[in-house]
Amino acid sequence: MQILIEMKEIIKVFPPNVIAVDKVTADFRKGEIHAIVGENGAGKSTLMKVLYGLEHHNQGEIYLAGHRVNFQDPGEAIAHGIGMVHQEILLISQYTVWENIVLGAEPVNFMGMIDRQRARQLVQKKIDEFQFNLNIDAKVDDISVAAAQKVEILKLLYRNVSVLILDEPTAVLTPQEIPQLFNELRRLRDHGHTILFISHHLEEVLTLSDRITVMRKGKKIATVQASETNKTDLAQMMVGRTVLFTTLREKSTAGKQIFSIENLTYIDGAQHKRLENINIKIHEGEIVGIAGVEGNGQFELVNSIMGLIPTKEGSIRVNDVNLTKADILERRQYISFVSQNRGKMGAAVKASILENVMMTHHRLNPQFTRWKGLLLNDQYARKFTEQIEQQFSVVMDQMDNPFRSLSGGNQQKVILGRELLLSTPFVLLDQPTRGLDVGSIEYVHELILEMRDQNRAILLISADLEELFRIADRILVLHRGKIVADLPTDQTDIEEVGYLMLEGKENDAKETD
Amino acid sequence: MNIITGLINGMISGATPILLAALGGTFTFYAGVFNIAMEGMMLTGAFFAVLGSYYFDSWLMGIVCAIIGSLMMALIFILFAVTLKTDEFVTGIALNLFALGATTYMMRQIFNVKGAFSNPGIVPIPRIHIPLLAKIPILGNILSGQNLIIYITVLVVILSAFIIFKTRFGLRLRAAGYNAPSLDSSGVSSAKIRIWSLIICGVLCGLAGAFLSLGYVTLFSENMSAGRGWISLAAVILVNGNPWGIALISLLFGFTDGLGLLLQQYMPSQFTSMVPYVATLIALYFYSIQARKRKA
Repeated sequence: MQILIEMKEIIKVFPPNVIAVDKVTADFRKGEIHAIVGENGAGKSTLMKVLYGLEHHNQGEIYLAGHRVNFQDPGEAIAHGIGMVHQEILLISQYTVWENIVLGAEPVNFMGMIDRQRARQLVQKKIDEFQFNLNIDAKVDDISVAAAQKVEILKLLYRNVSVLILDEPTAVLTPQEIPQLFNELRRLRDHGHTILFISHHLEEVLTLSDRITVMRKGKKIATVQASETNKTDLAQMMVGRTVLFTTLREKSTAGKQIFSIENLTYIDGAQHKRLENINIKIHEGEIVGIAGVEGNGQFELVNSIMGLIPTKEGSIRVNDVNLTKADILERRQYISFVSQNRGKMGAAVKASILENVMMTHHRLNPQFTRWKGLLLNDQYARKFTEQIEQQFSVVMDQMDNPFRSLSGGNQQKVILGRELLLSTPFVLLDQPTRGLDVGSIEYVHELILEMRDQNRAILLISADLEELFRIADRILVLHRGKIVADLPTDQTDIEEVGYLMLEGKENDAKETD
Repeated sequence: MNIITGLINGMISGATPILLAALGGTFTFYAGVFNIAMEGMMLTGAFFAVLGSYYFDSWLMGIVCAIIGSLMMALIFILFAVTLKTDEFVTGIALNLFALGATTYMMRQIFNVKGAFSNPGIVPIPRIHIPLLAKIPILGNILSGQNLIIYITVLVVILSAFIIFKTRFGLRLRAAGYNAPSLDSSGVSSAKIRIWSLIICGVLCGLAGAFLSLGYVTLFSENMSAGRGWISLAAVILVNGNPWGIALISLLFGFTDGLGLLLQQYMPSQFTSMVPYVATLIALYFYSIQARKRKA
């Protein structure tokens, strides 16, 4: 196959001295699916943004079909047939599918009016050509994430792009939606399109791609044929050491019951039942996972447990203490909580690391204060921060630096450390590994298992089924605000849980309608 | 009968400056600019209208100068809020205060008067008599004989609705407000769209100012915009930017304005001039109730 794009010795430095891409040379062939894998911060997105004209490289050369190019902005790249679909979906939810697709390249009549008919025809033609199943008149607000992603891809195809760069496209999809995307990508490849695919899910990469380029810490490690490699080798190249993919669960003998929710129902302001008759029991030394497509009640469940929304029906108990009506501070004596939103709820990013570490502790532990709580005990807080730094191997410069100066993995370590040292009987983890790289995820999982070994009861809410299957003892499936299944992890599999997440129980649909 | 036509004509001329400024504001509203500088743009426009009309002896030059003056304010807003990315709210407040100080100062320096400048040398914008419409009973006195700017305003309402909802520029304009990164990634600079929306706003606020000082009355007085820019902002927010809605709300405000004038015969004028603002508060109250219902 002929080489379409060549990137030669690309160097990209983010001021002052972060080398994001370090002398990377790579080539991409016409009509191949080429995966670029690496941990977070390995430079794979930056490399692709350089190609797309979104970032400008400091050194190196890029050749497109033999001609040297240097795109100043994405518009130029698109004009040369290179388009990129970003990780987050960038569509206008108030607009219809066709309006989103033509935006920026609208067919108009002589008065500057949008030629609706022609626009819709052009869009429909593209949809038919690639067999994307989409309704062009649907509002983007009303379509699924998977469909929105198709709209993003169509937006580029409408502009006659022949090289598609996809930045972690499967991150937002459910397991059932992924094969469909892959089929569509394969169809595009068979039409002669080149697909560059950024990912850190190795299994996906191995199923889909023809060739794989591995990056680590800004450097290219290797480019390999997908057919000639395997998951373990790829992971080793990615992380630089051997990573075990075995399950970390072990049979734990359930002790006494720690946490319970009984008959919890939550009805929101619009009279929608967001949670219906939820019953959860967790024993000491047990990890219970909650699986579900986002928006099926996870948010309301977490907020009910933490007291962020009022509970009118049902009860919440930890250690037989009724917390249903308790205020948040009282709950925090029994519940450790890692929020899915590190930057907004898990921490105050502009405050210092020190201040973030002592949060909650300063209200619950009298050693953090002097004069009956009127003054903070700075000395003790510093010692405590040092303890977290060492115990959880946090890489930090100064504890007085703002929290946001830490990398994502280190931020999560600080938050986990703070919550762990609250020494509560119950731990609520809401997507604790979201946005972390393979190495950090492994560490977080070890910490969670350590908590289990300390006989705590753990509720883990996760969108990552592999994560649940790796560490949870039981998996509950949340669908439309109801728990539709309670499955011991060793008696089920990803397919079954994935099906339940999407469809609920078969009789469930009738009940809710 | 005469009282009613008088009241309606009062309503129309009271509504015009608010409507023009609000239509300018709606372009920036859709583009996602939190623009509160209509007050300052309008006031600057009003001053430069008098300046142009007086020195060039022509109402047309008055309008041209009003637009130039108001555009200068828009350009300052663009420089700070769009290019330098300062806070839009603070920039808007600063511009409004600057406009008040600058026009008062210039009036005192150029015309050597305090309070208000009125002079026979200021040429007002003419009223247009439309022979056929004037003959219609009752309505004739309303449809014909209005100020030129009022006819322009009607045109601007129709044009705005067309541009915002039917054209390519409109699609991009609304996209800039709904989700600017999406527009940028579609290859259209949202900053450029915002700049254009502010330029349109400048032109329309200039027209509003010209109407105030060369149409509504023929003079310039300190702070003569008197909060109309703020009311226009309220009108935009109340109806979520829809030009037809803005026209309706502006007429309502114009009506309360006229009502205030009428009530002056029975109450102190300081009291009656509160009427439009009280109306704004009431409208905002009903809006918030409606909005809460919509959200739920």
